[in-house]
Amino acid sequence: MRIVVMPPFDNEFFGGKDRLDLEAGNLFGMVRELDALSPGFSDVAGVRAQFAIDGVVVPDWSTSLAGASEVILLPRVGGG
Amino acid sequence: MNAPESKRAFRYVGTRPVRPDGVEKVTGKAIYGPDYQAANMLHGAILRSPHAHARVRSIDTKKAEALTGVKAVVTGADFPTTEHIIMAVGESSSDLVHLSRNCMAQDKVLYDGHAVAAVAATSDEIAREALDLIEVDYEVLPHVLGIEEALADDAPVLHDDVFTKGVNPTPDKPSNAAMRVEMGKGDPEKAMADADVTVSGRYTCEAVHQGYIEPHACVSAWDSDGQVRIWASSQGHFAVRSLTAKILLISEADIRVTPLEIGGGFGGKTTIYLEPVATLLSKKSGRPVRLAMSRAEVFRASGPAPGAVIDITMGANKDGMITAVDMEFKYHAGAYPAITAHSGASSALSHYTIENSRVIGWEVLCNRPGTKAYRAPGAPQSIYAVECALDEIAEKLGMDKIEIRLKNAARPGDPNIMGIPQGEIGYVECLEAARDHPHWSAPLGPNQGRGIAGGAWGNYGGPSTAQVSIAEDGTVLVTTGSPDIGGSRAAMAMMAAETLQVPYEKVRVAIADTSSIGYSMVTGGSRTTFATGLAVTNASNEIIENLKGRAANIWEVNASEVAWGEEGAVCLAEGKTDETMSLAALAARTTFMVGAIGAESSVNPGGFLPGVGVHICDTEVDPETGHAKVVRYTAIQDVGQPIHPDYVEGQMQGGAVQGIGWALNEAYLYNDKGCLDNPGFLDYRMPVASDVPMIDTVMVEKFNPGHPYGIKGVGEVPIVPPLGAVACSVSEAAGVRMRDLPLTPDRVHEAMHPDD
Amino acid sequence: MSKIHVTTTINGDESEFLCTPGETLLDALRNRLGLTGSKEGCGSGDCGACTVVMDGQMVCSCLVLAAEAQGTTIDTVEGVAEGSELHPVQQKFLERGALQCGFCTPGFIVASKALLDHNPDPSETEIRYWLAGNLCRCTGYDKIVRAVQDAAAELRQERTPA
Ligand code: FES
Ligand code: FES
Repeated sequence: MRIVVMPPFDNEFFGGKDRLDLEAGNLFGMVRELDALSPGFSDVAGVRAQFAIDGVVVPDWSTSLAGASEVILLPRVGGG
Repeated sequence: MNAPESKRAFRYVGTRPVRPDGVEKVTGKAIYGPDYQAANMLHGAILRSPHAHARVRSIDTKKAEALTGVKAVVTGADFPTTEHIIMAVGESSSDLVHLSRNCMAQDKVLYDGHAVAAVAATSDEIAREALDLIEVDYEVLPHVLGIEEALADDAPVLHDDVFTKGVNPTPDKPSNAAMRVEMGKGDPEKAMADADVTVSGRYTCEAVHQGYIEPHACVSAWDSDGQVRIWASSQGHFAVRSLTAKILLISEADIRVTPLEIGGGFGGKTTIYLEPVATLLSKKSGRPVRLAMSRAEVFRASGPAPGAVIDITMGANKDGMITAVDMEFKYHAGAYPAITAHSGASSALSHYTIENSRVIGWEVLCNRPGTKAYRAPGAPQSIYAVECALDEIAEKLGMDKIEIRLKNAARPGDPNIMGIPQGEIGYVECLEAARDHPHWSAPLGPNQGRGIAGGAWGNYGGPSTAQVSIAEDGTVLVTTGSPDIGGSRAAMAMMAAETLQVPYEKVRVAIADTSSIGYSMVTGGSRTTFATGLAVTNASNEIIENLKGRAANIWEVNASEVAWGEEGAVCLAEGKTDETMSLAALAARTTFMVGAIGAESSVNPGGFLPGVGVHICDTEVDPETGHAKVVRYTAIQDVGQPIHPDYVEGQMQGGAVQGIGWALNEAYLYNDKGCLDNPGFLDYRMPVASDVPMIDTVMVEKFNPGHPYGIKGVGEVPIVPPLGAVACSVSEAAGVRMRDLPLTPDRVHEAMHPDD
Repeated sequence: MSKIHVTTTINGDESEFLCTPGETLLDALRNRLGLTGSKEGCGSGDCGACTVVMDGQMVCSCLVLAAEAQGTTIDTVEGVAEGSELHPVQQKFLERGALQCGFCTPGFIVASKALLDHNPDPSETEIRYWLAGNLCRCTGYDKIVRAVQDAAAELRQERTPA
């Protein structure tokens, strides 16, 4: 499935690539795949990243990716 | 989620009862951060750097330690060496080493007011006297305060281990550019070239402080068995626990943080400054230690929102359709990397659908305190430039300023710049409400101008825990882990009352310490009423199921034959349909049924929706002095379903006035040594009652289908539109486009009389 | 350091305390007498969170020396309610949602009561200028001003025999 990598992660971890193609059963698996591409990514993912599956931000990484076509990796946005 | 069938059919949600913690707050009984005293407590004080940038060669604390009454002295050397791990702080993240060094410098001080040593003594006077006896040998280094200056090739570099994140490849030379983000879509260059009209400009705004009236304060008590108790006011006592634990290498279960009432935060109290220091002083002295900041310390050493320099070019066709935006902004990060560039970039255009855009954001280190969240962190600055540019386009085209926004407004489902559909957002409804509001068509007086601006914020969910339990007489106790900054206890009680169908007055709310309830993220990011409210609702629903089961057992029917209503359990079983049993009657059977009635719910919900708002501002400019005064103001916002409208309106009004302060008055004044010249409310001028008019509010209530009570976060958005609304208003009143905030009288006067 | 002995009347009760020569009245109230309702937002007379009434005059207690309290009568937020009966200003703050964090509230309550004691029918502008020495960062002042207007109306009604 298509992974859309938002800045700064595209340049910071994936050599500037903002589109990746990976398969995984859920977001934990996805993070493992991403970490394999860029060792160290999983260390920061838990505090810096969040994911949207087909346009919906999903806080629980155990959510299944079955049938999903796109995952957006984006920074977790702070709030006041 | 069993969403109520009709969103209007609520009994309590949407009403305005007195808050459960109200009386103690109007009578002076409530205990805030600086009010708490522990038995046998010592008084701490912190020595702060008088230099903006210096190497600390050595610190001699011997004389201070020898002073009678001094019980402990702490410096950076007492802080355990911590690893560079990235920690969640509030809803953002920081490097643990940076967090630790910000609490107490080691090797280098990075801003005027940076903590270098601390003392605990038997009295405040002795502690302060001892500070004077500490000798710090500084090697003063060149400093840098401005954004552009900090990016210059020859600028002093703050950290030798910060390499610009977000560029590929990562540079091998450290620099003050901590982060770069770039996002966008389409072909902005071509679209700009094809546009019928374009406008360009550079907009600037200053760093501003959150300005909470309660200074930071805490008491910490370390026991010889390694257990620590902390009493502090913060936006999240679980964050106080985890950050203190990580910095001091203590386990989290050994730290029990009791939340005190908090006197304002606005994002600025999602981190820690004092707690690890007080804890170390307590460890050394064996007694509880209080640390409290003075107002000057708050200004010198706690987090402002970033100032910004923003270059924007916007293109449109002649119908007013925005076809291209190209913008690059640079934000202050302060002394340590922050993460507002991303939210500045992702928020900038989110309330419009623009086919071609490029947004570049930078975060720039400089010798000021590290920036912190301040309602909608990163959004007010970038959106300020977008809204002003839109204003200029409308002027060029001779178009109505609401019409042009309606033409470009994001509608439900439209994707934001990251491609994420925005759900049920009510920006169009807000703009229509603005157009229909009498304010928009009211005549202006001489020297007056009217500005309008929109704004958006993505909002958040996040983990929350809530417990609901039923006392033996059937009254209801709600316990959460979410500090109440602005009336959230009332909202929690109302949601519990609504769900359980009991009178509001029968519900009381407590905020538990970190050892008494499960993890809850900070109160911030407009998440508490949404996420903690969901946990309260879920727990209440679970209780209803439990009560139905109890009633079924009493009546010897199936639980499916019992309904729940205002009267309590209602029997639906044939022949027994007259039977009801009140909550009080069920609770009275606690001791001869299965025991206490209670439920806990932990959630980490999605389903949050962005908030959007539109503000209209009238100002009057005195041509003699250049003084601009807000004479009329209307704040309109899509708030979803308001739970307690007073506190929703209060967020809108408070945020608007903070934004007015940002636009008109507030700024840090640093001298040429890099020291803050206005660390007090006299010269850091926040709006007072006589500076502002009534702030009219319009709540656009577009129900959030992702929440049982339709909630959208409301606290972030209100500070987003004011910068643009005020700037456009003053520009119209002054007859000249004003692009640099704050719009102080001298600036406005000079713009109006360029030849003087 | 030798201490100064101070006798004063606080919220109607005679009280005594010892203080240092440089100590502020605010510190003495908070730290010596446990009256933590008066808050310190600035310590420099700019925020009004420490407002008390001293011999009938509204003052910032952070600008008054504790020793100056000798022989005076002081009213703090703790004395605004009569027993458990809230003053109309307090009641209207609650009903109007005129507090969010509540940290500025004690100062506003004392200042608003002082205003109404001295001017039973203030205009909006008079209210805003009277309260201009009290900072609130949460509310934008709207609901505070309305609460004071409501309290004024109620007090006027109470004073007018039916
Ligand atoms: S503490 Fe006295 S005026 Fe602020
Ligand atoms: S209610 Fe928070 S400062 Fe006024």
